[in-house]
Amino acid sequence: MKNDETPITRQKFMEELRRYQKGSVTRRHFLGVTGLGTAMAVLGGAMPMLHPGRALAGDIGDRVILATWPNYHDPENFEIFREQTGAAVQVNVFGSNEEMLAKLQAGGSGWDVFVPTNYTITTYVEADLIEPLDLSKLPNYDASAFEARFADAGTVGGKLYAVPKNWGTTGMSWDSSKAKAPFTSWKEFFDVTMGDFSGRTIVHDYQLTTIGNALKYFGYSFNSIDPKELADAEKLLIEVKPHLFAITSDYQPPMRNGDAWLTMCWTGEGKQMNRDMPEIQFALGKEGGEIWSDYYAVPKNAPHREAAYALINFLIDPQVNAREALAHGFPVADARVNALLPEELLNDPILHPAADLLDALEFGAAATLTDPNRAELMARFKSA
Amino acid sequence: MRLYALAVYAFLYLPIGIIALFSFSAGRNASQMQGFSTQWYGRALSNPFVIDALKTSAGIALTSAVLASVFGTLAALALSGMKGRWRALFDALIYIAVMIPGIVIGIATLIALVTVFNALNPWLAAATGWQLSMGAGSLVAAHGLFTMSLVIILVRARIEGMDRALIEASSDLGAGPLATFRQVTLPLLAPAILAGFLLSFTFSFDDFIIAFFVAGSETTLPIYIFSSIRRGVTPEINAIGTMVMAASLLMLVIAQLTLRRGGTPKDQ
Amino acid sequence: MAISQRAARALLLGPAGLWYAGLLVLPLVVVLVYSFGERGAAGGYAPAFTFAQYANLGARWTAFQNTLLLAPAGTLAALLIAYPLAYFLAVRVRERWRTLLLVLVIVPFWTSILIRSYAWIFLLGGRGIPHLLAELGMGDIRLINTPFAVLVGIVYGYLPLMVFPIYVSLEKLDKRLLEAAGDLGAPPWRSFLQITLPLSLPGVATGSMLVFILLMGEYLIPQMLGGGKVFFVGNALVDLFLQSRNWAFGSAMSVTLVAVMLVTVTLYMRFLKRIGAARDDVGLM
Repeated sequence: MKNDETPITRQKFMEELRRYQKGSVTRRHFLGVTGLGTAMAVLGGAMPMLHPGRALAGDIGDRVILATWPNYHDPENFEIFREQTGAAVQVNVFGSNEEMLAKLQAGGSGWDVFVPTNYTITTYVEADLIEPLDLSKLPNYDASAFEARFADAGTVGGKLYAVPKNWGTTGMSWDSSKAKAPFTSWKEFFDVTMGDFSGRTIVHDYQLTTIGNALKYFGYSFNSIDPKELADAEKLLIEVKPHLFAITSDYQPPMRNGDAWLTMCWTGEGKQMNRDMPEIQFALGKEGGEIWSDYYAVPKNAPHREAAYALINFLIDPQVNAREALAHGFPVADARVNALLPEELLNDPILHPAADLLDALEFGAAATLTDPNRAELMARFKSA
Repeated sequence: MRLYALAVYAFLYLPIGIIALFSFSAGRNASQMQGFSTQWYGRALSNPFVIDALKTSAGIALTSAVLASVFGTLAALALSGMKGRWRALFDALIYIAVMIPGIVIGIATLIALVTVFNALNPWLAAATGWQLSMGAGSLVAAHGLFTMSLVIILVRARIEGMDRALIEASSDLGAGPLATFRQVTLPLLAPAILAGFLLSFTFSFDDFIIAFFVAGSETTLPIYIFSSIRRGVTPEINAIGTMVMAASLLMLVIAQLTLRRGGTPKDQ
Repeated sequence: MAISQRAARALLLGPAGLWYAGLLVLPLVVVLVYSFGERGAAGGYAPAFTFAQYANLGARWTAFQNTLLLAPAGTLAALLIAYPLAYFLAVRVRERWRTLLLVLVIVPFWTSILIRSYAWIFLLGGRGIPHLLAELGMGDIRLINTPFAVLVGIVYGYLPLMVFPIYVSLEKLDKRLLEAAGDLGAPPWRSFLQITLPLSLPGVATGSMLVFILLMGEYLIPQMLGGGKVFFVGNALVDLFLQSRNWAFGSAMSVTLVAVMLVTVTLYMRFLKRIGAARDDVGLM
């Protein structure tokens, strides 16, 4: 946990990490070379919950269930967690905060850990659906390491309910080999969809971003719940609908195989696609849009509570979190993790946009989650 | 004609062939062939969640099929000679139960049970420290509703086609009602009950939409597969599908062979 | 004796009766009650008495339209593809091969519909059939996420359910009738129209009803092959319960769907009885 004690240099660590990411070295090699293996053994002694021993593994049970977003983790990390603790991680994927809330509201979700976005946490607390975190079980959490604007939302009424996972923006990704000019605005996003890109565009199955970006087309606030502004957004969405390829939050497969050319896109996923296929580019709308921060939280009555804490603690360990960030590309608000990440990732224009673009962005507002008109608008749009 | 049949079979087997083919892919992408490997079979079999989901599905399908067969058969026996208001009521219930779409059954069960649980739980928690929640129980109950109706229909049709004289002969020969039931009625009804049981099991094992709503924290195999598809499918899913199909085929071949050996050859 | 028989009946019917009361009647009553309520502040249900949900049904007209269009279309397409196959299996195939060929019709049914539909996502996607067609010079054809893709998925998913009942009714057909017709000089098409087809109508009726009922509540196939664009009532319902959390409106839609089905299916059965395709036990009853 103390990075300065890592027995290899940061640069060497990163090189090994990248080789490991590319799959050119095995995990065993990676752990051996970087000293992470020893570190784990030592940590295991210090922290019983990380001990790979069988008797102790029984303490957290043999499984833990995580509800999260698409393409948001390094699967290798879960295997390391399983080797260390004996608990296998089941990943359930959701494409919107509404879906997660609906599942928790109906009771008995069975989740141990889930990943809500900043603006939803107060609603979960009011509905008594999540528990205040027991910090004694999260030794890897260091509040001072986090940038406040990406960590604030985790605290409600003075109690810590959620710890930050990643932050990012919501922009657009497109196949530049098909586009006449780079996209720079939500106006272009919708206009080109109704023109050259007809039948090739994806919007999220998620009211916040799909409605929010349609609102931006008119220059309204991303979070507007004003009925007149929403009516404009609805008109635009209904007009665009026949020209869409799909309404889905799982947009990577069709983008990668060429069925779709343009999509609303979360930063890290834009980075993932751009890394593998440089012709897929990413940009923010110059009118603005969303900036967000995701958190780890534990639902009330989580069936494997101990394992839930062990998993969160494992995932916010700076070394582990650095591997996560390298795999999924989303920026991290934890200074300890950023100290481990390569410069080029920290200066990446997709992940860390210029200040003037960032300034135009808005955090989602709690009202959008509960506003009946936005929910109904989205449902009407989908069934239109 | 033969060509036509061939084309239909090709249509039926093309997607299955694709699934089986991709299950041997070496890459992570489920819809692309990248080299040959059997690793995904190993992964699927060592994935505790697949095994768990399989066990959950099998357990729920078995429980609901047994309950549906027993209660359905009992109800069919009672209904067979019945007339009047009660008969009409049950006919209506059976009709509605088979006709309502699964999605409505799922939704209705979900909101009714959540409402009932919310009303009972504070009281239950105070009295016993224990609470009701959605899960295996609600799954068995919701699946059983449809499958029990199926069993009633099948068994009743069999009873109506049955030769009453056999039962009368049995009681004329001095057998009590229980003995008659065990030695005459039950063997005659067995094929219908068995068919009902198998249909019930298959329905419950395969159901996605009802489970989608009422499964609570349980993960059945179809729910696991649905979730995996959203997570970005690896060939592991293809391997699971191929194995489930291979297992069913194997069971079928075994059943066929035993029937051949046990039964007399058909003469027509 | 009469009393004890009544008691025995009550005992036999008890479990089934309780099951229907608790899991059919009660849930349907709850749905009916909820359909007159309102959406809760953060979603869910809030008690009220209003017809607002029913008044809002028009907002889902497209979903009803899609369902009422594609469910019959899918049923018809499945029927048209299944009938010749069932006929082939029942009349043309030698006994020896028949069982095997029949089993081969059901085997695909044993792979989860989820996985089979997933295979169609690939087949209908840009790298599947459209790619082949483009190679053949058919230009830019898009299949995935269209009503056509949903129709293919539907026919594929439910074909076996259509083949079987038709096969059963055709197999019972006395082949001597056809021979007699032939001996009397009737051309094959005539004996088909006048003998085979009428006698197979009960199977056609059963299969069609089975497929139609399932299609009216379909969610998965439009979800997977329609890309969230081809919405059925089922998709709108899932959306209302699992995204926008409007239980009251969802209940009103459920009630409407059930009502529509009761009406269509009852009318269909009447129609069958009139044209004489219905035996007493037609369909599932």
